[in-house]
Amino acid sequence: MASESSESKKVTLKSCDDVEFKVEIPVASRSILLKNMIEDVGETDQSIPLPNVNEKVLKKVLEWCQHHVNDPQPTNDDDDSRRRNTEIDDWDQRFLNVEQDMLFEIILAANYLDIKPLLDIGCKTVANMIKGKSPEEIRNTFNIVNDFTPEEEEQIRKENEWAEDR
Amino acid sequence: MASEKLLSEQAVKQTLPSQNSLAKAATIPSELILQIFKYVTSTADLKSCILVCKSWCRCGVELLWHKPVFTGHGSLIKLIFTLSRNTQTFPYALLIRRLNFSFLGESVSDEILKRLSSCERLERLTLGGCRRLTDNGLLKLLDKADGLVALDVSDIENLTDAVVELVGERCRRLQGLNVSLCKKISDKGILAVASRCRSLRRIKLSSCENITDESVVILAKNCPHLLELDLTNCHQITNEAIQPVFENCTQLRELRLACCTNLTDESFTETMPTLYEQLRVLDLTSCALVTDQTLLKIAHSAPKLRNLVLAKCGNITDEGVYHITRLGKHLHYLHLGHCSRITDHSITHLARHCTRLRYLDLACCTQLTDASVFELSHLPKLRRIGLVKCALITDQAIYALIENRVVQHTLERVHLSYCVNLTVPAVLELVNSCFRLTHLSLTGVPAFLRPEIQQFCRQAPKEFTPHQRQVFCVFSGKGVKDLKQYLNNTVIAQQRNRITSGVGNTNDQVVGPAAAVGADIEESVVSEAEGAGGDISEGGEGENENGHNQNDNRNRNRVPDRNPEGEDGDVGNALLDLF
Repeated sequence: MASESSESKKVTLKSCDDVEFKVEIPVASRSILLKNMIEDVGETDQSIPLPNVNEKVLKKVLEWCQHHVNDPQPTNDDDDSRRRNTEIDDWDQRFLNVEQDMLFEIILAANYLDIKPLLDIGCKTVANMIKGKSPEEIRNTFNIVNDFTPEEEEQIRKENEWAEDR
Repeated sequence: MASEKLLSEQAVKQTLPSQNSLAKAATIPSELILQIFKYVTSTADLKSCILVCKSWCRCGVELLWHKPVFTGHGSLIKLIFTLSRNTQTFPYALLIRRLNFSFLGESVSDEILKRLSSCERLERLTLGGCRRLTDNGLLKLLDKADGLVALDVSDIENLTDAVVELVGERCRRLQGLNVSLCKKISDKGILAVASRCRSLRRIKLSSCENITDESVVILAKNCPHLLELDLTNCHQITNEAIQPVFENCTQLRELRLACCTNLTDESFTETMPTLYEQLRVLDLTSCALVTDQTLLKIAHSAPKLRNLVLAKCGNITDEGVYHITRLGKHLHYLHLGHCSRITDHSITHLARHCTRLRYLDLACCTQLTDASVFELSHLPKLRRIGLVKCALITDQAIYALIENRVVQHTLERVHLSYCVNLTVPAVLELVNSCFRLTHLSLTGVPAFLRPEIQQFCRQAPKEFTPHQRQVFCVFSGKGVKDLKQYLNNTVIAQQRNRITSGVGNTNDQVVGPAAAVGADIEESVVSEAEGAGGDISEGGEGENENGHNQNDNRNRNRVPDRNPEGEDGDVGNALLDLF
């Protein structure tokens, strides 16, 4: 409904590499950061600069916003229920089937732009990549360097032995 | 799929060094790592995470220890071992905020609690059912637990007032206390808590038989934020206790007064405010002195009441039920078991007004007939219906339940024990139609008391007498599925036999009213069928219609033109012969 009434109104977003995107306001408003900005500034022809997001990532994020433009706004109430549920719907799953660097870029952008549902599914996707893996396998998956000394690692392993596999 | 994933991981690894010296994963801020870890729900996975690198460790360790989840007694011992180490990488004991040992039950000892006394930041402690515990262990553990918000020590019989008094002394922020079944607790302990823990919101005193009005009065006066008060089985409670509750605790949502047998109408009619809006749950089981007057008052004062339990309130009549219908769509859960004075009149009214009922128990409302069930079959959200010992109910009620195609989408639990008129075809149809059905009780229904059917039923409780075991017939979970499969298979097998042996000619089967349970019951079924039969045979698709056609067959000699397709008719006949 909201999307229809303000269909013609658009806002211009500018990525950090100076690419401009003309976006319908309801789509941009999936981002709470942008929603607040637009509400504060009112109608303007000036573009909104987004210094933390490059063209490639912004394009991707806007694709998500467009697809979810009619979703209800998330409330604080469903925070917990969302957290317990690690399921991701099919479209989102395909949407996030990207190179790992892009996945993390999307998470960073969703965090910066304050798009909670996108941040959530991004984090869920990473969490699902962790499931069932050993520490070494996790390091390999994400190319993370082990900066523990062998002694430190061994002590932490022992201290947390109670959290064993089921 | 797996190989695809492997490939993509390899591709990522290969492209990384050339692109960038650091992987993106290693650069993301800790607040986001934490965000990700919140979706790592298994303890074992979280443990792997903290062993990945230092920054992941710092992020994950608090989450891992915040609410330790144990796989069993062994892992609890390992955790205690960590806490007793001289050098620890992190101050682990201080990271523990919640402990729940209730599933470890009797393997939890005082010794274990004593070793956990360094957990000074404990917020929630759940020890329900750890029956070996005594004051000793608890006094040690609670001595420094200043920040405790919720304590559940239910069903620890040995516990005395000393523990509750210490809680009052130390845990000023306490919001929830469950001492149900701690039979030694008395007013002394509760007064200590009530006078100091002013933010108390939930207190359960179920079966604390020493508790008197004194405790409740002080609780009501000192703890105005109470949301839940459970006084089930506190036999000494009188009307005097209830008045200050209504007066002071304006936020109360749940009030459980089951078996407070001294209570009379006065508790409600005289003292309940004209508007007591927050109340959602009221349990008056066995408050046998209350009458319809109480219900009149409640329905006006608490218009948003959701759960109402009136089981064994023997004075309740149709008039009382009429009052309840004022609650309209707010009422989701209603228990009228053993209110044997109510009749079809008020249940009809109820079904038409309280259209969001999900749970309805009418056990032992012996005057109810099929007419009540006809009305209830329109309730679009009905998940559970209890008609135990409503002995006037017949197969027609069961057919009506399904016929509207409303409750078949919602019904999960159906209680029909001692509805002695019911027959197998009707119940089979119920089972075939209600695909969510997970519980079906048919204890004492003659048509089902056969070894070949009872083999699928749950085991009778240990305390049952031999006779009770004989008539026990309750199906749940897999039992319902097995029963359904067995009955359907038997029907099909029977059909095949007929066809191969040339007995069954699908077009000229006519079976009179015979073979079922007993002549007298059969007669009543037939006469009922005459009345309601017209609507029943519509729809007629596939195996779900067995029972319907059964019904048709019985009447076919009278209404021959209502002949369903041959094969279905045969299914019904097969059933008749079998049972």
